[in-house]
Amino acid sequence: MRAILDGLYRASSAAAAVCLCVIAGLVLVQVFGRILDAALRALDMPIAGITVPSLNEIAGFLFVAATFLALAATLRKADHIRVSMLIKAVPLSVRRVLEALVLLIGSAIAAYAAYHAVLQVVDSIQFSTVSFGVIAIPLWIPQSALAAGLVVFAISMIDELTTVLTSGVPTYQAHEEAKSEMLQKPVITPEDAERGAS
Amino acid sequence: MGIETLAIVLGLAMLAALALGLWVSLALTAVAVLGIVIATSVPVGTVLATTFWGKLNSWELTALPMFIWMGEILFRSKLSEDMFAGLAPWMRGLPGRLLHVNILGCTIFAAVSGSSAATTATIGRMALPELSQRGYDPRIAIGTLAGSGTLGLLIPPSIILIVYGAATEQSIARLFIAGVLPGIMLAVLFMGFTAIWAILNRDKMPAHEPAIPLRERLAATGRLIPIILLIVAVIGSIYAGLASPTEAAAVGVFCALFLSWVSGTLSKESFTEALLGATRTSCMIAFILAGAAFLTVAMGYTRIPRELAAWIGVLDLSPYALLAALTLFFIVLGCFLDGISIVVLTTSIILPMVQAAGIDPIWFGIFLVLVVEMSQITPPVGFNLFVIQGMTGRNIFQVALYALPFFGLLVLGTVLLVVFPEIALWLPETMLSNR
Amino acid sequence: ATGAFAQTAWDMPTPYGDSIFHTANIMEFADDVREATDGSLDITVHSAGSLFGHPEIKDAVRRQLAPIGEVLISRLSNENPLYGVDSIPFLATSYDEARALWEASEPAIAALLEEEGLKLLFAVPWPPQGIYAGEEVTDAAQMDGVRFRAYNAATERLATLMGAVPTQVEAGDIPTAFSTGRVDAMITSPSTGVASQAWDFVSVYHDTRAWLPKNMVIVNMSAFEALSADEQAALMAAADEAEARGWAMSEEETGSKTDTLAENGMGVVEPSATLAAQLGEIGETMTNEWLESAGEAGQAVIDAYRM
Ligand code: NA
Ligand code: NA
Repeated sequence: MRAILDGLYRASSAAAAVCLCVIAGLVLVQVFGRILDAALRALDMPIAGITVPSLNEIAGFLFVAATFLALAATLRKADHIRVSMLIKAVPLSVRRVLEALVLLIGSAIAAYAAYHAVLQVVDSIQFSTVSFGVIAIPLWIPQSALAAGLVVFAISMIDELTTVLTSGVPTYQAHEEAKSEMLQKPVITPEDAERGAS
Repeated sequence: MGIETLAIVLGLAMLAALALGLWVSLALTAVAVLGIVIATSVPVGTVLATTFWGKLNSWELTALPMFIWMGEILFRSKLSEDMFAGLAPWMRGLPGRLLHVNILGCTIFAAVSGSSAATTATIGRMALPELSQRGYDPRIAIGTLAGSGTLGLLIPPSIILIVYGAATEQSIARLFIAGVLPGIMLAVLFMGFTAIWAILNRDKMPAHEPAIPLRERLAATGRLIPIILLIVAVIGSIYAGLASPTEAAAVGVFCALFLSWVSGTLSKESFTEALLGATRTSCMIAFILAGAAFLTVAMGYTRIPRELAAWIGVLDLSPYALLAALTLFFIVLGCFLDGISIVVLTTSIILPMVQAAGIDPIWFGIFLVLVVEMSQITPPVGFNLFVIQGMTGRNIFQVALYALPFFGLLVLGTVLLVVFPEIALWLPETMLSNR
Repeated sequence: ATGAFAQTAWDMPTPYGDSIFHTANIMEFADDVREATDGSLDITVHSAGSLFGHPEIKDAVRRQLAPIGEVLISRLSNENPLYGVDSIPFLATSYDEARALWEASEPAIAALLEEEGLKLLFAVPWPPQGIYAGEEVTDAAQMDGVRFRAYNAATERLATLMGAVPTQVEAGDIPTAFSTGRVDAMITSPSTGVASQAWDFVSVYHDTRAWLPKNMVIVNMSAFEALSADEQAALMAAADEAEARGWAMSEEETGSKTDTLAENGMGVVEPSATLAAQLGEIGETMTNEWLESAGEAGQAVIDAYRM
């Protein structure tokens, strides 16, 4: 089970990363098309006119996919931010209760959002909604990525909740603490201070 | 429930959710659900899905992950180290030394990027570790970054000016040009403050690095060439008509990869790490944007900002009093909403009063950007705070405290803009008077 | 849940800003409704996409997120070609023709909307579309290799047929795209030309009157049926008034905004005879292509229009 879940989060985040690569790739094709045309114009030759049709829409869709598919991995690596002052200030036993509480709320919101994102896909299929641009892209395709990302996110929230309830320490805690140590080490050593004063 | 009670309940709910340790994006979403449920009978879940989809599915936003990715590549490529090594000898004599790299870096990068989050993330990713390693006080390092990162919104291109221009039918070209001088003015204010701070706080500055002979200084300066090439390529691609401001971000990624390949730091491992890091940072910011957009829609349904703005309207104030009231209003709203939301929610009510008071709409756009810049560094909802917490692990209230002087400087900048409106209006009037 | 007396509060998302005459017309429509119903139907206009963005508005009304909303009809043409009939270049090139085309197409469009549980209230045209370019174009041959702004399938096809290079430019990017040379020409209304202060980057406006696209106001059928008979009647009466007022505003706007273009130093020219003939031919081609995709229903609309 653990391996399956970890695989799911990895696959989802890899898909998100691929979306970013595709955005970059498509935009670069568009830009190189312009560079080529500029060169051909300069040489008084007919232009090649290489463009990516509907690039604006496709890139927007890929950005949505990248955002939502990365949700679970971002949670586990503690890259989603929150104010953890209170959670860090209280004794460990209270902390566990608080963590469980925010994870419970988080699971509920994530599951609610995932459910409605799935309904949105169903609605788009039912009413065959399509995009507005040069290529009519059925909206259920990019919306499925949004829904899938939220479903995986909800699973990861419930997964963390289960972990806190059973063993007590969520996956993201180690990352969160590693980050707060970054840049918080004493910055000015005594030697520095001496040298600075001289 | 009356609208005042509702506003207070939602404000408290937001603070409680955040204090409890709920993730910022989810806290925004939860408060939005609460607001819609209390104020209306619309199907909340459907609004949520529609908003997440509709507001994130945007061409302009695609520049955000690209710029963040570029920053991640540069951070891993030693280019950031080169930039500091190249600048250090020249900043030696200036009080505040390398702290100015934060400000200058953000100012220059703002000319490439349209958002403050991308500006802060990119420069911060390179500058903060370097400054920390060189012994600079993290509080002032973080403060300068948080403050000057907001310049991304003012110095063109600017997403917020595009939104304002589109909502109010003002020329975006004029707005962009109008943002240039106020942007430079703020950068100068920030640098001036940093210099004074450094003079007053010599004990908090790291030891002087040994003086470098001119020959070595020039050699070190050579290390700036790659980063200058990168900036020239990105800005140049826009002005040469090869890329739109959004597309230029991907050009930046390409050039950063190329430079790190040339410098021999590009490996399969560093590529993957940078890409996954960018994926997660961009996800964090975008998901907060989604939550913020949903809260904006909820605010639209509850009519809270509309009523507040209308309430200011009936006070029938003099132009200066109106601007003072609006500044206060935007600062309060800016604590809880992000800048673009403030613009779309309120311009429709506020612009008519502003125009009735005889205030130039182009000038007002720049004024609005300044107050929106403040909102980027006020807790609990401030995107620069989120980005910097993501980078340093320091919580948003700490970061906001370090950024407080820069908030003050933004207020000072706003006052200067009110007293000398030409700061915004002189350039567009001069440059675009082709008749 | 707010409000002290029995009142229906409607949120109305619209895509355009307050200074656009469509929005002004809708504000007046909302006031009329409020007045006629003694405040029992209170419509709050959320302009400039502040509640839902333009792409989301139709589905938001269909899914009852907002009971009423405004959209550009031809934005839906990827869903059904019938929605694109008012944006076929050079099919209807004056207000009279546009009105005849609307009368011919309204039943078909209302029926399409009804299938989705939507009721059509009224439609108002934009001023006719003209070509903005750096210098005067008297012959389509001059368009060869010119980068021409395209934002959907129809404008892309138009650019291609003129021999230009279709170039995607988002609305907010227009000034930058022109001033940095990513695009050389565009087709849009004098309203949009004035709004983007086109004189900053182009010098000639060709009054080609290519087509008059329309915005429509739609209402969710269940929300409409939930109103009292009096409220329904008041809403329909206000809609009729808004349509009549909107058409007049549009025509007035065409004159005043074209004048504004000229006042700001742009050359406002009638298309040359050569260009007009070439554009007419392109219009014929695009009408036939549209008929192929729109099938019998489309043929019926064109037949009714040309009768
Ligand atoms: Na900028
Ligand atoms: Na804020």
